[in-house]
Amino acid sequence: MAEQPVTERPAAGPPSGRPAAADGAWHRVHPLTPAVKSWSALVVVLVVVAQEFGREAVGGSGDTGDSGGGSGGAPFDVRDLGGGVLAGGTALVALVVLLAVGFAWLSWRMTRYRLTDEALELHQGVLSRRQRAARIDRLQAVDVVQPLVARIFGLARLSVEVAGSGDSKIELAYLTHDQATGLRAHLLARAAGVTYSTTEAPEAPEHAVFELPVQRLLGSVVLSGAFVTAVVGGLGLAVGAGVAAAFGAPFGSAFAGIFPMALAVGGILWTRFTNGFGFRVASSPDGVRLRHGLLEQRSQTVPPGRVQAVRLRQPLLWRRSGWWNVRVNVAGYGAGEQQGEGETTLLPVADRDEALLVLSMVVPDLGVAPGEDPRRLVGTAMDGSGPDGGFVTAPRQARWLDPFAWRRTGYRVTDEVLLVRRGWLHREVDVVPHARTQSLGVRQGPVQRRLGLATFAVHSTPGPVAPVVPHLSSVQAAALLAEQSVRARAARLAAGPERWMAGPGDDLTPGADPAAPAVPAAPAVPAAPAAPAADGPPPTAAS
Amino acid sequence: MSEHPGNPRAAEPFEPDGVRWSAVSPRLASARRVSGCVPLAVLGLGFAVAALVVPWSQFWLPAGLFLAAAAWTWWLAGRQAAAWAYAEQEDDLLVRSGIMFRRIVVVPYGRMQFVDVHAGPVDRLFRIARVQLHTASAASDAAIPGLAPEEAARLRDRLSSRGQSRLAGL
Repeated sequence: MAEQPVTERPAAGPPSGRPAAADGAWHRVHPLTPAVKSWSALVVVLVVVAQEFGREAVGGSGDTGDSGGGSGGAPFDVRDLGGGVLAGGTALVALVVLLAVGFAWLSWRMTRYRLTDEALELHQGVLSRRQRAARIDRLQAVDVVQPLVARIFGLARLSVEVAGSGDSKIELAYLTHDQATGLRAHLLARAAGVTYSTTEAPEAPEHAVFELPVQRLLGSVVLSGAFVTAVVGGLGLAVGAGVAAAFGAPFGSAFAGIFPMALAVGGILWTRFTNGFGFRVASSPDGVRLRHGLLEQRSQTVPPGRVQAVRLRQPLLWRRSGWWNVRVNVAGYGAGEQQGEGETTLLPVADRDEALLVLSMVVPDLGVAPGEDPRRLVGTAMDGSGPDGGFVTAPRQARWLDPFAWRRTGYRVTDEVLLVRRGWLHREVDVVPHARTQSLGVRQGPVQRRLGLATFAVHSTPGPVAPVVPHLSSVQAAALLAEQSVRARAARLAAGPERWMAGPGDDLTPGADPAAPAVPAAPAVPAAPAAPAADGPPPTAAS
Repeated sequence: MSEHPGNPRAAEPFEPDGVRWSAVSPRLASARRVSGCVPLAVLGLGFAVAALVVPWSQFWLPAGLFLAAAAWTWWLAGRQAAAWAYAEQEDDLLVRSGIMFRRIVVVPYGRMQFVDVHAGPVDRLFRIARVQLHTASAASDAAIPGLAPEEAARLRDRLSSRGQSRLAGL
């Protein structure tokens, strides 16, 4: 731990009655957790039970009515038989429910977590037990996730991402929302190398940077390839079905076939909409904060230096509106389940200035030449072509392999990052800091060899960004390979510490504005304290 | 690694300046021939026998195809094994492979997360092992097949120690 001034927070915080989740002792998750986790099963059971009761009531009254009006002979036999079956069924359901509840209770009892100075530990499992400990200094991102049901109960899931292959996160599900945010503040402070004496970590102040208007989100969904394809396909199909109907074929049959596809496309668009709903970006000394989601709300914090690569993308349909989509690679994100589009999106749809602003937050130093305007450089990468802006482009021979995009394909190396420009209809720009380069590669196929071309690739952590410069001349590719390995080595040596607040002591001058994200931005280590001074601005509540 | 990108020798990305490549064991070719050709050849011979037993049948066609595939695999295994090479530089490991589709990967020791040494039954028969360097990126596929077991162990230890001394965060 670094020798930081211990930030005392006066006892203005929550009363001592609240469990301090970060005191180093073992804690259990919230007792409502099993109910929230298995709410769908719970609903099914409730419906079944309700149906049983309902049937009994309705059946009973119906029986009397019928038998009274009908035979009038033996109403008792029928009711007894039915009642017996009902009782048996109810007993079985009750048994299953009892077993499930017992297991859920045991599973809750066995789940416990602890936060020590060095690690976050989680023990869980009834039959097969699992104990996982994650080193806090390896922390890559912290998310507070609230699915709809959890939100109703005021609960949240804390998801702590440490880099690893496959499932590499620790999920504390569920805590109260206050506990989750408190733990997050604590984890971030520990990871940053800030110490404090209280059990409650101070929440870092934050500054709102971006908020996505819902109209623009809707517009971006409508102007997406999936939507346009769906509309065109649907119209074509309707016309086809109409023609077929004119010749006597059943009208509805064509729609029955297309229904699953429509459902899938609708699902994609719906996911995009719900993920992007209410998208907000804020900057704080703890890194970039993202909040989004319609039903499931996700609040992400990505500390400084954890973004491995950035991709700006502009589909053809967005060009008129000048919109861009920004996605990032963060080690651990998207490596687990469902390759999360929700996790790795930094901006679902933003205009050029907003995209540049957020880029400057995650890649604070573009390392441009003295006197060069970084905004212009990125602008050239966004919609330029040819050698302007210092870009090295694919040679003329590349037109045989890439007849349209070859003029645009290119790269530019600055002192800090590699910018890659690609794409003719769909424009793409990849930004990879040299310090985040994992390894480098060059490939060459037989046709490329004949033309004297080669494809250069920077290997980044798993995620949506895979920076590749296709069809460079092999001379350029060779030079780039040689230069980049030297640059990456130098940048690695000069890289800031993992604990982003524990940098050189004189960098931590308090009072610096934490929220001044201009494009030619501050050094990699933010010059602001994670903990607001006692007389400083009140910590912004994170939700 | 070359520090002189202007040098005309550096024009060839697969032949960087001043790099002394180590070839992998020629036994890799044999191992790949055994695991690749033998099943194909057995199938081809089976069809050939069937074609001999049943006169005027169509079995010659698959027999010919399988035997041709076996011959091609035989030839390819030799070629690929000869093309596979690696070089331990000051700060990074270089791995080169392929003749038709060439590939070179530069992996800094400091980026190494872990090293795998793997030897299957056929590999063990031919006394070779495969060393693979893993980084945090799934794309940096730095695998060196066909090392003698003692060379594989040496390389593993050496890579681990270099990784230790040049350890970097993500």
